[in-house]
Amino acid sequence: MRRLLRDPLLVIGGLFLLALVLFAAFMPAIRTAQLRPPDDPRFDAVFSQIGKPFLAPGEKGATLGTDDIGRDVLARLAQGARVSLVVGVTVQIFALLLGMLMGVLGVFAPKWLRAPVLRLTDAMFAFPDILLAILLVATISPKALENVPIIRNWPDEWLGVVPVVVALGITAWPSIARLVRVQVASVKDREFVVAARAAGAPTGYLVVKHILPQVLPLILAVSMVEMAGTVLAESSLSFIGIGVQAPNPSWGNMINNARSGDITAHIPLLLLPCVLLSLTIFALNFVGDGLQALFDPKARQ
Amino acid sequence: MRIARALSLRLLYGLLSLLFISFVTFVAGEAAPGDAATIEAGEKASLADVQRIRHNMGLDRPWPIRYVEGLAKASHGDFGNSYTGTKEPVGDVIERTLPLTALLASLSIVLASAVGIVLGTISGVYRNKVPDRLILTLSTLGVTIPTFVLAPVLVYVFAVQLNQLPATWKYGTPGGVAYYLVLPVGILAARPAALIARLTRASMIESLQQEFIRTAIAKGVPRGRLYVRHALRNAILPVVTAIGTTFGVLLTGSFIIESAFNIPGLGQKTIEAIKSLDMPVVQACVFVTGALFILINTIVDMLLPLLDPRIRESQV
Repeated sequence: MRRLLRDPLLVIGGLFLLALVLFAAFMPAIRTAQLRPPDDPRFDAVFSQIGKPFLAPGEKGATLGTDDIGRDVLARLAQGARVSLVVGVTVQIFALLLGMLMGVLGVFAPKWLRAPVLRLTDAMFAFPDILLAILLVATISPKALENVPIIRNWPDEWLGVVPVVVALGITAWPSIARLVRVQVASVKDREFVVAARAAGAPTGYLVVKHILPQVLPLILAVSMVEMAGTVLAESSLSFIGIGVQAPNPSWGNMINNARSGDITAHIPLLLLPCVLLSLTIFALNFVGDGLQALFDPKARQ
Repeated sequence: MRIARALSLRLLYGLLSLLFISFVTFVAGEAAPGDAATIEAGEKASLADVQRIRHNMGLDRPWPIRYVEGLAKASHGDFGNSYTGTKEPVGDVIERTLPLTALLASLSIVLASAVGIVLGTISGVYRNKVPDRLILTLSTLGVTIPTFVLAPVLVYVFAVQLNQLPATWKYGTPGGVAYYLVLPVGILAARPAALIARLTRASMIESLQQEFIRTAIAKGVPRGRLYVRHALRNAILPVVTAIGTTFGVLLTGSFIIESAFNIPGLGQKTIEAIKSLDMPVVQACVFVTGALFILINTIVDMLLPLLDPRIRESQV
């Protein structure tokens, strides 16, 4: 714990991420409560018009101003943070599960299974990440999603995020799998594992009880850094117009919106999501790198 | 003989990657809603009509046959017809849009390599001193600040405030292509340059700690010559590999840059095609971009054993 506090970037990054999570969780509801006109029960600060377009920050109750159709920028930034965090976390959980499975299979599976798993993991690196994501986003039609039982009843704004999550999840696992494979292979022949094996532990038990707990902290730290990549990829897709779709805000499509209009007049509209996105990516990198240095003594030197 | 074997292994690996990419794009086409027959039949056609047209076009044959046929056609540059607009052949679309993207990407990679190697070398030589700290900060910024944040902000500064450079692409205006490419190429090169600088720095530091450097210092080799001819030459190999892989960063970055600057290249065409559900164009664009990436990396891989006798020797 003391070592953890000694790394200022890690502490600052961590605090920023904590603040961001709180901001994303509560700000849309707070703004809705603050701005709700007395006679409108369906008012939602993220999607409803609150005043004239392009109000300057601080003008007429709009703390950070309004966008091109008069919606509250503060609430939309918070909703954008929500989208980024939800996409980042879901994609990384998916990538961790699949990556760990494939990485462990790459070491322990019988040869007929191991070889194809290794080839597939390597082959995935032949695709530049965003390129594969673009192909997948193009393939997953919103119509097909309407037939999937659980998500069918989701509100539209989250249904639109599903293709992005699926596409990024499929592109994110190979780098985790490669790391898991290397780490598992290096732990495999350590004394305590050999001892457990000699005592008759089956392979599955060995992996779950002895090997994965050893490598998990490092893998989680790396997946923080990978999450920065995911958040970036989601915003990139939204920026070029094939990710999160309007009216649901994402930092990416907010930047694109601000850029396509008359940017001289409304520079905060452009700068706010830019700054927030850059800071988030910095913070995830700092925290991920910091934790990695904590968990991996070899890399610390 | 050894080297011939090593080279052909790499070539084979490149071909396999190419097959993998082609297969994935084919499967994506199968999974996407609608096919060439439904487009050909038009919106009002009955199900029976669509079936008939599908049969006539041979789209109801088993997928392995269609995949191999598609590969054979693609090798002649025939990727079928676009679903939208004038239904022009996709090969023509690629031919029209690829040169601009290729120009953008190659200018950027040259710029990124030059800037990255120079800054990385300086950084490695002045390790932990002021120039190194500056360059490290700069490269951290370059790696983390997204391209699409950099683009509108720099457009605002240079095009709107200073009124020096054009904000978007326009045809037939004086100043030529170069004038319009300054900002896009510079922004596109930022991230690869930062990555290459970091790697060159690490590689230089390692190289400067080796014994032949001490020997060279002892026998009085001048500093400049020591850094460039002795240390950098030894440090450059991992950098060459990295230039190949960062080319992928650059290709995907070009999708964003073309979108941000309205440049009519392959990336912009792909995004347009995705929005209009024009699957043949999407497939062809993704395949061509992926193929380009594999091609560059295979060339880099094949260059390495030629550049470094140690790799040559260690090849099985």
